[in-house]
Amino acid sequence: MLRRASVLVPLAWLVLAAAARADGWELDLDGRLVSSNADPSYTRGGISGVRFDQDQSGLRLGRARFALTESIGELWSVHLDASAWGDHDRIPVGLTEAYLQFRPYPFAGYRLRVKAGAFYPPVSLENRAAGWESPYSLSYSAIDSWLAIEVRTIGVEATLDWLGRRQGHDFDLGVTGGVFGWNEGIGTFIANDGFTLTDRQTPYGGRVGLPSDPLLMNFEPFRQLDGRAGVYGGLELRWLDRVVVRALRYDNRADPTAVDNATNAIAWETSFDSLGVRGETAGGWTGILQALKGNTAIEPGGFYLTWPFKAEYALVAKQAGQHMLSLRYDRFEVDSSIGGDGSETGHAWTAAYVYTPSEHWRLTLEWLRVTSNSYYRNDVFGLASLASETQVQLAVRYALGSALR
Amino acid sequence: MRPPARRAEWKTAFQGLAPLAALACALAFHGPVHAATLVITVKTPDGHTLQGAVVTAYPLDGTPRKPAPIKAVMDQVNRAFAPDLLVIPVGSTVTFPNSDSVSHQIYSFSPVKRFQLPLYRGTPYPPVHFDQAGVVTLGCNIHDEMVGYLVVTDAPYYGRTDARGTWSSELVHGRYRITIWHPRMRDEAADLERELTIGEGDHAELTLRLVKSLTPAPLAERPHSWDY
Repeated sequence: MLRRASVLVPLAWLVLAAAARADGWELDLDGRLVSSNADPSYTRGGISGVRFDQDQSGLRLGRARFALTESIGELWSVHLDASAWGDHDRIPVGLTEAYLQFRPYPFAGYRLRVKAGAFYPPVSLENRAAGWESPYSLSYSAIDSWLAIEVRTIGVEATLDWLGRRQGHDFDLGVTGGVFGWNEGIGTFIANDGFTLTDRQTPYGGRVGLPSDPLLMNFEPFRQLDGRAGVYGGLELRWLDRVVVRALRYDNRADPTAVDNATNAIAWETSFDSLGVRGETAGGWTGILQALKGNTAIEPGGFYLTWPFKAEYALVAKQAGQHMLSLRYDRFEVDSSIGGDGSETGHAWTAAYVYTPSEHWRLTLEWLRVTSNSYYRNDVFGLASLASETQVQLAVRYALGSALR
Repeated sequence: MRPPARRAEWKTAFQGLAPLAALACALAFHGPVHAATLVITVKTPDGHTLQGAVVTAYPLDGTPRKPAPIKAVMDQVNRAFAPDLLVIPVGSTVTFPNSDSVSHQIYSFSPVKRFQLPLYRGTPYPPVHFDQAGVVTLGCNIHDEMVGYLVVTDAPYYGRTDARGTWSSELVHGRYRITIWHPRMRDEAADLERELTIGEGDHAELTLRLVKSLTPAPLAERPHSWDY
């Protein structure tokens, strides 16, 4: 214990000393008081629509996060985002995002941005706060929870924006393209557990599910086994600072016949389209509509199995000074080409109150109810296939750092 | 509108004296001349008065006197330009200190003046010289939400409308071209240009009304750290 402290304390000092010189650093500690009637989730070897189950009611760690953004020379910067979730993952602290960014000066009304490393593809309109968090609630929508669990870009993304608003027009336009690898796990979760509403982001090197999980079997979402690169392309339109419309077509171009002989891991061929719009008013109202529709498939031994999936949500939030109220309705569905295996339909309501008395403190009270009908819940876990789970969380978050100013 | 930084405020006060100085010069060199108070009022299409509009008056008779260049300051405070708009005569210089604890990287790709100030805190760079009339839009290459404006003018009489939507100046009799501009204006500035003759009397008034509605003001209260 003492020996560990003798290593950790100087290490912490080193990190903080580096941070003090950096352009932006942030340290967040998010504690939760949880009340839940849910079955165990994938992090505890079960299948559930929410993050915390009935045995986890009480005090929990929501997230401990340390992030650093540092310029490298004039036009490059590096961003590292590390988190601990307190749920006995294989690694206690892991990176959820880590990338280099190239940002040349805008020229003749155009701006180029290139990212290389590991980061989220440009889908979410809700998770706009630091650490890819939602400022509207604790739990992310079904769409964004899925991204948090098993979707990440490990590769290169380039975005070219036409900055109309800086040239007297009312709108900006952006085009994005990405090329990525280490993506053949994407689809495993959705075809097995279906959709869930969580705020736990799988770190690099982390796992999804426990070794004892009969469905997920300790799988690693970010792996490469077929040697093929995935691609995505997207468009973004911004009207003033009020409305954002974002569309993305994503295809991991995996070879569904590929199998890793060492681990028996299968490559999942997953593609999806996403479309979303976010609008904000001067009166403090925010509205978000988002839809995602896709398909995942495997073909081990010549059997082509496919799981089409789709999810949508509508969110409305009202901010008044330090107070914000939000309400979100999610609807999701996973279909299956093999009888009912892996199929799921469900919906969820999320209501949250967020109080932000200062840049350091944030208090959130969230009520979440997920109702879903899942084939595997009965077939594999012996539970009733239809479940309605309720999770109430009170979160207190303290944040510190130069990135807040 | 954010309160201007102290130094900029001082400069603004100094600029206000320019028309009076011009008048004093005119009196000194040409003997008694006829002068009048010109009052310009700017209104939105729905009839409300517009504060902060940039007004210039350019004499069309004879060879107009060039406005004296100034040394202005546009600070960066809380990830915003302070003030977010400056009117400066052609030939003026502007210093862009960064009072924030984070670095900024200031740029303009406006044809009137293209420049870049690489990553900095404090005041490491010499003032930037602006020698061409027009509007310069400023941004920060790191903080996309930052936007500032410099209106570089060759008119000897200029200023911004007050809370009542008016700007006034002492002008000698003659013909003038009046222009107005506002960052949120959708009208073409050329469409709102007017010619005005100040002849009889010691008082002249002109009300200019925008044809198109203003773009909405930027959203307030949105944290800097949010993707916007």
